Amino acid sequence: MNDTQTNSGQSRGGQSRGFWADAWARFRRKPLAMAALVFVGLLAAVAVFAPAIAGTKPVLCRYKGRIYAPALSYFDRRLEPTIFARDRFRGTYPRNLKEKDPDSWAIWPLVFQDPHRAVRENEWPGRPANPAKDEGRPSRINLCGTDQYGVDVFAKMVHGTTIALLVGVVSMGLAGTIGIVVGALGGYFGGWVDMLTSRITEIVMCVPTLVLILAVVAIVEKPTIWKTMAIIGATGWTGIARLTRGEFLRLRQSEFVTAARATGAGPVRIMLRHILPNALAPVLVPITFGIASAILTESALSFLGFGPPPPAASWGSLLNDARSNLSMWWLVVFPGVAIFLTVLAYNLIGEGLQEVTDPRLREARK
Amino acid sequence: MGTYLLRRLLLGLLTLMAITFIVYGLARNMPGTPLTVQLGESDPSRKLNPEDQERMKKIYGLDRPWHEGYLRWLGNVARGDLGRSFSRKQPVTTLIGERIGPTFLISGTALLLTWLLGVPLGLYASARSGLADERATSLLLYVLYSFPTFVAALFLQIVFAVWLRGTSWELPLFGMSDLPADAGWAARAVDIARHAILPVTCQTYVSLAYDSRFIKANMEEAVRQDYIRTARAKGAGPGRVLFHHAFRNTLIPLVTLLGLSLPGLIGGSVIIEQIFTWPGMGRLFFESIRERDYPTIMGLTLMFSVLTLLGQLLADLLYCLVDPRVSVE
Repeated sequence: MNDTQTNSGQSRGGQSRGFWADAWARFRRKPLAMAALVFVGLLAAVAVFAPAIAGTKPVLCRYKGRIYAPALSYFDRRLEPTIFARDRFRGTYPRNLKEKDPDSWAIWPLVFQDPHRAVRENEWPGRPANPAKDEGRPSRINLCGTDQYGVDVFAKMVHGTTIALLVGVVSMGLAGTIGIVVGALGGYFGGWVDMLTSRITEIVMCVPTLVLILAVVAIVEKPTIWKTMAIIGATGWTGIARLTRGEFLRLRQSEFVTAARATGAGPVRIMLRHILPNALAPVLVPITFGIASAILTESALSFLGFGPPPPAASWGSLLNDARSNLSMWWLVVFPGVAIFLTVLAYNLIGEGLQEVTDPRLREARK
Repeated sequence: MGTYLLRRLLLGLLTLMAITFIVYGLARNMPGTPLTVQLGESDPSRKLNPEDQERMKKIYGLDRPWHEGYLRWLGNVARGDLGRSFSRKQPVTTLIGERIGPTFLISGTALLLTWLLGVPLGLYASARSGLADERATSLLLYVLYSFPTFVAALFLQIVFAVWLRGTSWELPLFGMSDLPADAGWAARAVDIARHAILPVTCQTYVSLAYDSRFIKANMEEAVRQDYIRTARAKGAGPGRVLFHHAFRNTLIPLVTLLGLSLPGLIGGSVIIEQIFTWPGMGRLFFESIRERDYPTIMGLTLMFSVLTLLGQLLADLLYCLVDPRVSVE
């Protein structure tokens, strides 16, 4: 990527830093953007280790001479070892483990609470049942309180982190792919291809997003979180397409493209290997902002009751529960702050990315 | 100019047809029909027997495939007829007419407030750019911008309707008015205003954060221009430079922004109106989707798309008006 170095303005003499290394060095000097990046990393860790942070199934246990990891079943039901179903555990591990195999041992999650159901009395020896109705204020046992049915909010939020992160990444991955392909085709080929792609982009842009999403979500027979992600992605690519088109229009005139064409490179190769790397930085910015808005859209959908069905609890659906019972402020405050911080983090990352990759803004800071 | 307008209008018409075609197809393919959704949900015993359903379907024109239905709808629209709502038994135009006022009350007030506060804020931020107070304000606005409206709405509801209940600060949770229809107009106005405070706040703060940041970004670009240096050099005061020389040159992008806010002004916000059960367009749209009320869905989509396209056209035309250097061709 030699041609990108001219952008960074440091290509004079010897081995200079590449465009991305340069951008990263600048990014690292932005405390807010870095804090946001660390926060997203932290969220990713929470998402990956969710069953070990909050759950009622052992992370690791030894039972009848073998070692199991029942907590994995929080990711997928099928990962629950069949032996526990055969021995009639019915989802309650602490007592059953001891009763049915006195030699067993287990490593428990940090917080013994379940995201899908209320913990019953004495399920964990000596621990009272989760309070239900509007009694479940935050306490030492229920860090963020419980909802109407006594399900622990902290556990729900920890397990909902996966959804929040996946929604952003998956839907924007899809939107980015569609947007870049559509924009690249229009910008590179021009003429009637451009006419067609621009029209399509304009049409999708003109249909109000929430209208389109609500209509499509209503059509889908069995809503799952994956379908919601696909829909958000399939409707959110227009801005990316327009920006990519602009970049491709600009770059296809440049000398290095002519040079590439002279060496006999085909259009696909030129688009992918020569133009795209140079157009990527400005396109990455709306993708990052798009992640923030995808998370917002998903929460809004769940909030309106159009989200994935239980037990998949996203942060937005927790807020939906709160609507009918506003005196349970903890149902609003904790998920609300979680959504807000995540959206803010992605916006800050996007902003930082914009500042370090846009040469015009960079000069302005000098 | 004339040919440009004609071309834009024709293209707009094509876009409109494509949008309505897509939305009609989507709407008709949602599971359930207005008949089954409406009656079956409220009371299972009132579910229509098959013969009645067939008869009703025929009356509503649901027995035909959806593309035929679309053509029929299109023909009616061309004659100025948006059809009758299935669930509300009223012409769609009447429904829209009823809802447009409440929505405009919220969004118009919010837009006015946004501009009244946003322009000074943006100017202030660019005047004191880089200083501690400006950095704090900008950060606060940025944080506000990331704050989801529905979370803010719930927070406000908790504070003003639950925690402050019984005090003079208490604000109503839902709806537009609690008073009977025969109350005096002054009392009604006060009542509606009290109901409108929270939704207006929610709708204002996000666009305020966005607009003032937008103004500041444009101003920052403007103050780096040579003519600003010239103005300073000839001895114009800082206020005059800022307002007369810089701000006037940032009006063009602002005009575009204004044009693009047109659809929201009348289309309203689904989420805010849904949270505060405000009887506006956004809520009407949400309900019509739930009730599978095809004529209403289509009427609202058509209106919204027309406004979006019109807003874009208006923005482009205004652009030429404020900047003689730009030509539509």
